[in-house]
Amino acid sequence: MDPLYMANSLFRRRRFEDCVQVCTEILEANPYDQAAWFLKLRSLTEQTYVDEVDMDEEGIAEAFLDDTAIADVARPGTSLKGPPGTTSRGLSQGIRPVSQSGRPLSGFVRPGTQGGRPGTMEQALRTARTAMTARPVTSASGRHVRLGTASMLTEPGGPFVDVSKLNMSKYSQRPALAKALFEYLFHHENNVRAALDLAALATEACQFGDWWWKIQLGKCYYRLGMYRDAESQFKSSLKHFSTIDMFLYLGKVYVKLDQPLSALDYYKRGLEKFPNNTSLLIAIARIHEGLNDLDSAVEYYRQVLKYDSTCVEAIACIGTHHFYNDQPEIALRFYRRLLQVGVYNAELFTNLGLCCFYAQQYDMAISCLLRGLQLSPNDDNTADVWYNIGHITLAVGSVSLAYQCFKLALTSNNSHAEAYNNLGVIEWRRGRGEQAMTCFQSSASISPHLYQPHYNLAAASEKTGNLHSSYSCVKKSLEVFPEHLDSAELMKQLQQHFAAL
Amino acid sequence: MEILPKYGLLYSDESFEMVLCKPKILPLKSVTLEKLENMQKQAQEALKMQEQQQDTAD
Repeated sequence: MDPLYMANSLFRRRRFEDCVQVCTEILEANPYDQAAWFLKLRSLTEQTYVDEVDMDEEGIAEAFLDDTAIADVARPGTSLKGPPGTTSRGLSQGIRPVSQSGRPLSGFVRPGTQGGRPGTMEQALRTARTAMTARPVTSASGRHVRLGTASMLTEPGGPFVDVSKLNMSKYSQRPALAKALFEYLFHHENNVRAALDLAALATEACQFGDWWWKIQLGKCYYRLGMYRDAESQFKSSLKHFSTIDMFLYLGKVYVKLDQPLSALDYYKRGLEKFPNNTSLLIAIARIHEGLNDLDSAVEYYRQVLKYDSTCVEAIACIGTHHFYNDQPEIALRFYRRLLQVGVYNAELFTNLGLCCFYAQQYDMAISCLLRGLQLSPNDDNTADVWYNIGHITLAVGSVSLAYQCFKLALTSNNSHAEAYNNLGVIEWRRGRGEQAMTCFQSSASISPHLYQPHYNLAAASEKTGNLHSSYSCVKKSLEVFPEHLDSAELMKQLQQHFAAL
Repeated sequence: MEILPKYGLLYSDESFEMVLCKPKILPLKSVTLEKLENMQKQAQEALKMQEQQQDTAD
């Protein structure tokens, strides 16, 4: 068979590694075979291709040395950063756990949402040290570069294209080749600067009339952290032609600039052009979730489900919402739907187990959680499953089993703050004050965004007569969760104590 | 209407109960995130393999 035909067929069947191999053989025989070169370029790109709309990573440098921020303290409802302690409408922290940034936990994680915005520099640096939530120093040194270097290493004969020897202006004259080369540079090599050079020359070559190149320019600027330039490129490409992507990219830029309302504005404009588009609806729902407006977020997720009833993100988020709104039965239906859609992983089974338990289907709960344990791909996940099993055993009344579960959670993940806190509570009930205090302390130092360890530490210190440390702890607890009644009550008592002195 | 007892001692005993962290619904991962994590894992394994090969060659 003709090797090029073979390579083409392999490419269409998405067997990219084999395709690369065949192309390499063709190129060894004839290094000037452009068709083979093009195909190899494309299949190498496809191997590491990640949809840029979903790709987002925020480094420490972006989060803190943010020169695009207009005001330190934004008006309420206009910023995604929100001061710590602002509670969401309708749901308190006492019911729905919060992420590190003080936002209610979402039912779905994407590349950008893993770490959340840390409140302080110290917190960001500390989380960088734990293995799983490693936060890159800047987004330019994050996953992009790590993957870039690794993809080069795996090629035995060195890199396929020598970027420094590329004659960009020659390639920019040939639109088809230039587009493939650009995607290769951007996705495979992660050489954004070279990609930017090529894109700039190519837009010039087509007299600034090609919307595709403008989007690519915008993508490069975005990666380089030049958000205003990216914005102008996206806007200018929107004048030529409109695609859904453009609105999504513009929204992304505005999220980076911390202007969620402008992002919403563009998404809504997008919806006028592309009515009921699920990608745009989901983007709107995410912004509402980021603004702590969970009710509207759920409203949009529901709209998404009207048009695409298999959207995992929408189902998961609505399920989470129902679970924390005291409707585990309904949450169970949503998670069961996910199982029907074909999701089969540890997270889903854990959630199913929890929903079953709180919906009083005890027989299913245990088997679901066991399945969750079996499917768990890493230690972090195992820790979370054990932590949830601990809850169920506590609810059943088997305290010693719960104790074991929380211990197991900590064996899997030594920085599981919630497990430390709950272990502390059990230790306290068993009358082992010292151990309990140590547990609360480690919990509070690992996750200062949780109010529970602070409050528990305060209550324990108050009981042991250490009023001063109790005061400082309860202050922290109130900073994180101002509406917590017990903390406020404890604070009042302590103030009375101090006033009497 | 508030009812106050007319006789007997009235006292309230506030004791602070420890609070547990709530059960955690685990967020599902997006396809992109899973792909990224897979790619990272593969890259790491490839790196390790190469290092091992180099070690045996030395």
